[in-house]
Amino acid sequence: MQFRARLTLAPFNFEIITDLPLVAGNLCKMYPDSIRHNESLIDYSLTVTKGQGIRRLFKPQARFFADTQEPFQPLQLQQGYAMLEWGMNWCIAAHEMQYVIIHSAVLAKGDKAILFPAPPGSGKSTLTAYLAFNGWRLLSDEMALILPFSNKVQPFVRPICLKNRSIALAKSWFPTGVFSSIATDTHKGDVVHLSPPAASWQGALQQAEIVAVVFPSYQADTNLDIYSLDQTQAFMQLARNAFNFGVIGQEGFATLTAIIEQVPAFEVQYNDLKAVAAFLEQEVLADAR
Amino acid sequence: MRASQLLLQLFQQPQLALTLSADSWVHLIRLLRQQQQLARYAYLFRQAGVFTQLPQYARHHLRNAEIIADKQYRQVSAEAAELTQLLAPLQVKPVFLKGAAYALQQGLPAGIGRTFSDLDILVPKEQITAVEQRLSVFGFLPEPVSAYDQHYYRKWTHEIPPLRHHSRGTILDIHHNLIPPISGRAPDIRRFWQQLNLTADGYQVLSLPAMTLHSLIHLFFNEDFKKGFRDLTDLHLLFAGFSEQDWEQLLQLAEQTGFMFELMLACRYTSYLLATPIPAWVMQQTEQYQPSKLRLRLLDFIFLRLLSPQHPLLNTYLDQLAALLALIRGHWLKMPPQILFGHLSVKAFCAVRDALFGKHQFSPKRPG
Repeated sequence: MQFRARLTLAPFNFEIITDLPLVAGNLCKMYPDSIRHNESLIDYSLTVTKGQGIRRLFKPQARFFADTQEPFQPLQLQQGYAMLEWGMNWCIAAHEMQYVIIHSAVLAKGDKAILFPAPPGSGKSTLTAYLAFNGWRLLSDEMALILPFSNKVQPFVRPICLKNRSIALAKSWFPTGVFSSIATDTHKGDVVHLSPPAASWQGALQQAEIVAVVFPSYQADTNLDIYSLDQTQAFMQLARNAFNFGVIGQEGFATLTAIIEQVPAFEVQYNDLKAVAAFLEQEVLADAR
Repeated sequence: MRASQLLLQLFQQPQLALTLSADSWVHLIRLLRQQQQLARYAYLFRQAGVFTQLPQYARHHLRNAEIIADKQYRQVSAEAAELTQLLAPLQVKPVFLKGAAYALQQGLPAGIGRTFSDLDILVPKEQITAVEQRLSVFGFLPEPVSAYDQHYYRKWTHEIPPLRHHSRGTILDIHHNLIPPISGRAPDIRRFWQQLNLTADGYQVLSLPAMTLHSLIHLFFNEDFKKGFRDLTDLHLLFAGFSEQDWEQLLQLAEQTGFMFELMLACRYTSYLLATPIPAWVMQQTEQYQPSKLRLRLLDFIFLRLLSPQHPLLNTYLDQLAALLALIRGHWLKMPPQILFGHLSVKAFCAVRDALFGKHQFSPKRPG
């Protein structure tokens, strides 16, 4: 049985084809009907399929294809849906060069957005989930699409990828949240995807203006410490998290330096999400013109 | 019209792009991306002055590819500078081949929008071990390959297993000849060492005729034609820049090195599929090297299909048959029967193993 869906994940259109019920089931759960469009022009056609060979009978594999290209090694079948989500990210990072793309979460109140660039393990996705379900609008969990020579960021709304211990936390915080099935034992540990709230999906076409850059860093023993970063530090950290910085060159450099010159940058060490949210709302957003 | 024929037409008449429907663009972009031809077509559309009038969907994808190709175009001279400098103490001046060579010659149409996944250089055979050792000290490390492939490369082929720069990821293929010596057809490489040009920046490349000969030898000695269409368009763009004297030199070099048959194929299929302007006297001279009618028909069956744009969505059973025949032909050309038999036995064993246990389980992996 082959499942096909066209997803309008603004600003891109994907076609997803899969013969894995696990992938089809999770897709239907994670992505609301409102973004299924059959008349859209497909940008990327992606397939997740069962590995071939007799091996599939006793230790089945999932394989990901972007059209005919296979960028990853096969994974275990139960990781098929996570693989698709990563494959979608790969596809954008590998092909889209007309945005400055930062490995970063983006959340906004109204049209004022904050970038949260961070390496894995910094608690970025947990913070993202917390904010998205507490009155913020999710623009992206993984990649910030910045329009060149501006401080405007284009939403790319997708499920939030939660890892390991944050899975149980998120499930207890948002009992009504829509979670994917769990993919265990991946290179990131156990992962689950969480569909963002309706308001985030509805805002998928609404660009926002970057008013601050916050580098989150979860520290079990720190309630809340805030460090203001100077422009050099902030630029270096931002550039380190930029996917296509090396390819787009001058345009990327000019865009990132302009942003850093215009908006404040902080490093926030925390173990209390409420305190972080209060700081962001009362200090950072309040100061933004 | 089949999408592959449409692409062939667009190559010759880029202005036809203005007449296409939105749906056909979806198909074309997909096909061009798979053929790694997006950036080259972007360049053709720009040259024809139609790029800015194309629909937003098409411009979006073409522009993405252009940005990536431009970056590679800029990067290749930095890589060439580093390699040239690293090898200078060995008194080795590498000759840059194929995609890198096209891109290093500013303004050569074959280099614009031409992307490539690895850098190919030619060095003297007796120096190849020293070159390999020196480059490994400076970060070009061997890619993981199976013990069998390692043996196969070193014993039978014209290159050593690829090296990869540990941080930039650049893949480097180091050649000492243009095709595997075991094929019995490898040219006296000194003839090519006598056909060198310097680019404006001082990098060493083959002269236009020698570079073109290498390009066509490479194409017609292949067993895999997934990039056949791209290689054919390379030939078209190279031929298009030929002077009368270049044609004479090409014929002479092909004659001396025994590749008139391949040159005949190149002229035949570029003119047939891309309407490449080839002087009549060249066509006549090369046509003398045509095989019997029956064999020529078989070659036409294979190459007219495989040198057209390919995509699994479009392929018919006949295309698959052509690919199979080309695979057999390519192997046959490269290896004498007793070697081929051994090679195929090992590959068959690996295929059965992968079928049983899954693909990639036994692929050699990079440490870490």
